[in-house]
Amino acid sequence: MKILLISAAAFFYAWFSGNDVLTGRWESRPSERGSVTGVVFKTDSTFEGYVNKKPFATGKYTLENDVFTFVDNGCDGKPGSYRIIFFSNSDSLRFQPISDSCEGRRQGMSRLVMGRVK
Amino acid sequence: MKRYALLAITGCVLVFVTQASSSREGPANKAALGEMLFSDPILSRTRTISCASCHKPAFAFADTSAVSTGVEGRTGVRNTPSAMNLSLQRTFFWDGRAKSLEEQALAPIRNPDEMDLPIEEAVRRLKEDSKYNSYFRNIFNSEPDSTNLAAAIAAFERTLETSNSPFDNWKFSDDPRAVSDAVKRGFTLFNEKGKCVKCHFGADFTANEFRNIGLFNGRDFNDSGRAVISGNKEETGKFKTPGLRNIALTAPYMHNGMLRDLREVIDFYNEPGKFVRNAVGRDSILLQPLGLTEDEKKDLEAFLLSLTDKRFEQQSGAAAQ
Repeated sequence: MKILLISAAAFFYAWFSGNDVLTGRWESRPSERGSVTGVVFKTDSTFEGYVNKKPFATGKYTLENDVFTFVDNGCDGKPGSYRIIFFSNSDSLRFQPISDSCEGRRQGMSRLVMGRVK
Repeated sequence: MKRYALLAITGCVLVFVTQASSSREGPANKAALGEMLFSDPILSRTRTISCASCHKPAFAFADTSAVSTGVEGRTGVRNTPSAMNLSLQRTFFWDGRAKSLEEQALAPIRNPDEMDLPIEEAVRRLKEDSKYNSYFRNIFNSEPDSTNLAAAIAAFERTLETSNSPFDNWKFSDDPRAVSDAVKRGFTLFNEKGKCVKCHFGADFTANEFRNIGLFNGRDFNDSGRAVISGNKEETGKFKTPGLRNIALTAPYMHNGMLRDLREVIDFYNEPGKFVRNAVGRDSILLQPLGLTEDEKKDLEAFLLSLTDKRFEQQSGAAAQ
């Protein structure tokens, strides 16, 4: 009985925890030059970012309600905070800056629209 | 009589089919034509060297010389950069003097220390070559000219992308067994203590910037680099940060090819002042020694080796160290 209760609790935690809506692989549509940007959000709250299947960005994130906060290996370890806007039945998303002192990243993130890779 | 008529008709059909198929022979598209041109010495004045003479496929389209060797053994002053993984780059050459791959593609042809052939002469040769004339007409609907020559070579170069290294398998395919623990530690050093990521951040491990790493002192190291192009004195001694994909194959290193191997590169960044005395304008990132230990240097090197694409695995033996 105890095991069942723990399992149920774990299931409901996973179901309702913020990170769950994000975990998995997301990719942009090809840009004019054909580049595809993607991110894999993992269950351990880390992520890997890539362009054209070339990984290079790595970091940790939290998602509380719709606020996505992260640090990565660029931008001298400065954190960025963005509101995630899900749309199209939550299989697409974009980022709205809340605070990010890394200007290049802020510009890139603001343009980024990704869909869940199914 | 009937038999002769049949033979004659068959003969005509054969001739027609042969001619029609021969006119379709040759490269299927711009990139395939570019690949032919890339390896053809027709584009050098002496018809002895091609783009591939310096951008050797086996060395990730770079070579093993400190500086490029052109026609009649003429030597340039800079190391041959890899022609791979250029699609995402915004400027080309060590000093960034070309703003597109098309612009880049023609420069070595006309450079007196490289292929030494005026572009007008290159185009004339291609027009006079019935094979190339036909290929250009098939692909571009026009005879060879400088624009479609550049377009073909650039299209070929855009195909030279690699994204299947052990590092890629680890990070993109989420396979932690694709690399050793040394590679993983090396990647952490790359991002933290080694500070490498400050300049080598991006899909090809370059932020596409120009940096002065301390290889200019105005005496024995006097290549002004970017400043000559921009006219900005502040950029003296700055060079484009190269990408690091397949870096294990492209020794020697730096714009002047002064460092023999990756270990020497790591030693340099650990303490640049030991290599070039009285450097002028060295980037602030490199003002203090990194203080890497012997084990850390090995880990960093293991990470760099893990960036070698698997297409080169057999020849380099560098993968998954």
